[in-house]
Amino acid sequence: MSIIYVLIPIAIVLVLLAIGIFFWAVKSNQFEDLERQGYNILFDDDVDKKVQVKKPKTNDK
Amino acid sequence: MQNSNSQNCYHCGLPIINGEVFWADILGEPRKMCCPGCQAVAEAIVSNGLEDYYRFRTEFADKGDELLTETLDTLKAYDHEEIQQEFVVDDGSQKQIQLTIEGISCAACGWLIEKQLLKTPGIKRIAVNVSARRATINWIDSELKLSEIIGQLESIGYHALPFQADEHEASYQKESKNYLKRIGLAGLMSMQVMMLAIGLYFGIFGSIDDATKEFLHWVSFLLTTPVVLYSGFTFYKSAFSSLRMGSVNMDFSVSIAIIGTFVASAWATISHTGEIYFESVCMFIFLLLISRFLEHRSRHQASLISANMFKYIPLTAMQIDDDNKQTSVLAKHLKKGQKIVVRPGETFPVDGVIINGNGNVDESMLTGESEKIRKSTGAHVYGGTINLSGSFEIEVENELKLSLVNKILRLQELALSDKPKAAVYADIASKYFIVIVLGITLISYVGWLAYQPERAFWVAISILVATCPCALSLATPTALTSAIAKLNQYGLLVKRANIIDVMPDVDTVIFDKTGTLTNGHFSVSDVELFNAADETFVYNLAAGLELYSKHPISHAFQSQTPCAVSQVVTVAGKGLQGTYQSQVVKIGNISILDNSDGLRPTEDDSRVYLQLGNQLIAAFSVKDVVKKDAKQLVDDLRSKQLVMLSGDSEINASLVADSLGIPNVYFRQTPIQKLTYIQNLQAKGHKVLMIGDGINDAPVLAAADVSIAVGDASDMAKRSADIILLNSKLSNVKFAVSMAIKVRTKIKQNMVWAIGYNALILPLAVAGYLSPWMAVIGMSLSSIIVVANSIRLLR
Repeated sequence: MSIIYVLIPIAIVLVLLAIGIFFWAVKSNQFEDLERQGYNILFDDDVDKKVQVKKPKTNDK
Repeated sequence: MQNSNSQNCYHCGLPIINGEVFWADILGEPRKMCCPGCQAVAEAIVSNGLEDYYRFRTEFADKGDELLTETLDTLKAYDHEEIQQEFVVDDGSQKQIQLTIEGISCAACGWLIEKQLLKTPGIKRIAVNVSARRATINWIDSELKLSEIIGQLESIGYHALPFQADEHEASYQKESKNYLKRIGLAGLMSMQVMMLAIGLYFGIFGSIDDATKEFLHWVSFLLTTPVVLYSGFTFYKSAFSSLRMGSVNMDFSVSIAIIGTFVASAWATISHTGEIYFESVCMFIFLLLISRFLEHRSRHQASLISANMFKYIPLTAMQIDDDNKQTSVLAKHLKKGQKIVVRPGETFPVDGVIINGNGNVDESMLTGESEKIRKSTGAHVYGGTINLSGSFEIEVENELKLSLVNKILRLQELALSDKPKAAVYADIASKYFIVIVLGITLISYVGWLAYQPERAFWVAISILVATCPCALSLATPTALTSAIAKLNQYGLLVKRANIIDVMPDVDTVIFDKTGTLTNGHFSVSDVELFNAADETFVYNLAAGLELYSKHPISHAFQSQTPCAVSQVVTVAGKGLQGTYQSQVVKIGNISILDNSDGLRPTEDDSRVYLQLGNQLIAAFSVKDVVKKDAKQLVDDLRSKQLVMLSGDSEINASLVADSLGIPNVYFRQTPIQKLTYIQNLQAKGHKVLMIGDGINDAPVLAAADVSIAVGDASDMAKRSADIILLNSKLSNVKFAVSMAIKVRTKIKQNMVWAIGYNALILPLAVAGYLSPWMAVIGMSLSSIIVVANSIRLLR
């Protein structure tokens, strides 16, 4: 049973870490627009590639 | 959603009417466009490699701006240092601005805007908030001007305006974040504490050695402390402020329960006697915070929609100094006696007297009257109204902050503060309830002190825990939240949740006319032909002329095949004149006719005349159209007293009222008259539901017991209304009324259950029969039943 004297403090540290991250996320407005972030996965990566390959002109400007 | 109908514009989804089709290559295919504006926007999007926008969007875009270059010119005003001071945060190296963006319809728009702007050199960071329709942009001023940023947005079809969050909204925002943090902390901690508690529960049946048990107790204590101190703080604060006002509210009992349970558990941990209920404290705070947050957020969303008022008060004005030199100045710096010039199509920045010029003014946003008003030298004009034709020189009468628009705003705020507080049953019930419980607790404590002193404290605490008004305090918010969520599905945004309590008592319904029951758009209701003219030809000719006008009435004249009219000029205050097949053609009010054919101008002759050559050929009666489901709405509410208060003329108002069957009509009402009317009714004990849309309705909407802003209501009306109807389905208003009645029943049921449970458990607790874990289970169970009952409203 003595293992819980090690595991529980570790759990507490992890929870504190999670709370820290959560507070940071709230502070940096990450919960303001939940609708939009869900769509990001549809766009970003492949589009960036396309822009680089297909549209070198726009970057030259 | 992709374009299925080939007759619609691929970009904006509007039908292609004029027969002229524009093309743009999108996603490898040529697509039809309705106008050069849409074409330009689509090409800009494609050439920037942002075609994916079309692949993933879920809504059509706004129509493109056909006069893009002109629009871009006017944007230069935003580069003025002085104007920027108002909105721009400058941290030395970068500037930051919040822009309200019109035309965002789905998440793909947010992506499009971010991609487009991030390509622009000089922009450091951009974050688009789709639901709020806002963007926050950081840029380097030496590389890029603000007008260029807004120009970039225009080029892909969005209109941007600098935005400054008002006080209300800023505080909502702050409160929202606070709630989130408190909920997050309580949630994460609750998980831990519950985990330990489950271990301890099993300890009841199995065996945990005492040392481990004590360790788990201390860990729970440690984890619960921040939840009680930080997450529960909102409750103590509210309880404290109500105590200072000399009353007890729900939060008072909640606070007592939290602190009492927590202190008792802490004491049990330290002294090794008695039970602990840290897990119940955590869960209680967590659940309660969630319901509070949901209620808060629905109000918050409403405030986002209504926050932007910049459309009504222009930023800049063109000032003329003594040497007749024109300079652009900030509207709010204009002083009494200064002279400004206002060109056609512009909004008057301040109140003033016309010293030169004449033309038509649209004052509908102030007066609600749908017809244009002719103004000439000596007449007064008001800030926020729109100059439809003619160029005016104006002497400033009132500074911006004293202008009529601001006066109406203040009137509304006054009404808002006057608003009778809805009597929330829960608060009244809990007030008595908590006083009774506190009294009983005290008596039992004293009684047990005399009988078995060592048990007295625990009995008192167990009474407080067992009768913890969780269920009671959840009864109202959960029912309200469910109702609000359901109403949202129907496009009804509830801003003040307590109106649901008042709604069932409403006995009088007051309608505004223009924009509420009618579309506010003109159409031709009747045409009289003269000199053997042909009806189709007359329509086509009128439409051909009116193509050149931006006047609201011109929308009434639309035709698939307008006649080609050339050399069209606006005759200020009268109408339009042009040439058709080398004949002079005129359209406008009676004063434009050369020879009025014996027609006598009368005060109320609002008809539009058409003259070809020397002959009068037609007279059109132009009317506002009643909305499709207005009749349905009026019939739905017929059990109540119906009144129409309109700013419009007697003829227009009574015509609409008669066709809908509204018995009481008041016309030519000013905002102040409307307000007095409602206040008189309220003084007689009536409960008033107001349905309106205009700025002129704002004070009335705020004063009414319940108010609904409909359709394309002005931002000001949305700010004052309790409920905003987001779509144009008027019939949903009826749904709000019936929902309110359901909610009231639901709340009553919840109350009966919560109080019944407490009444049952109280004697057991007082008699000392209740072991603490029973109290906890009973407490949670009664809450769960209440929540489950409320959730049934969602079905």
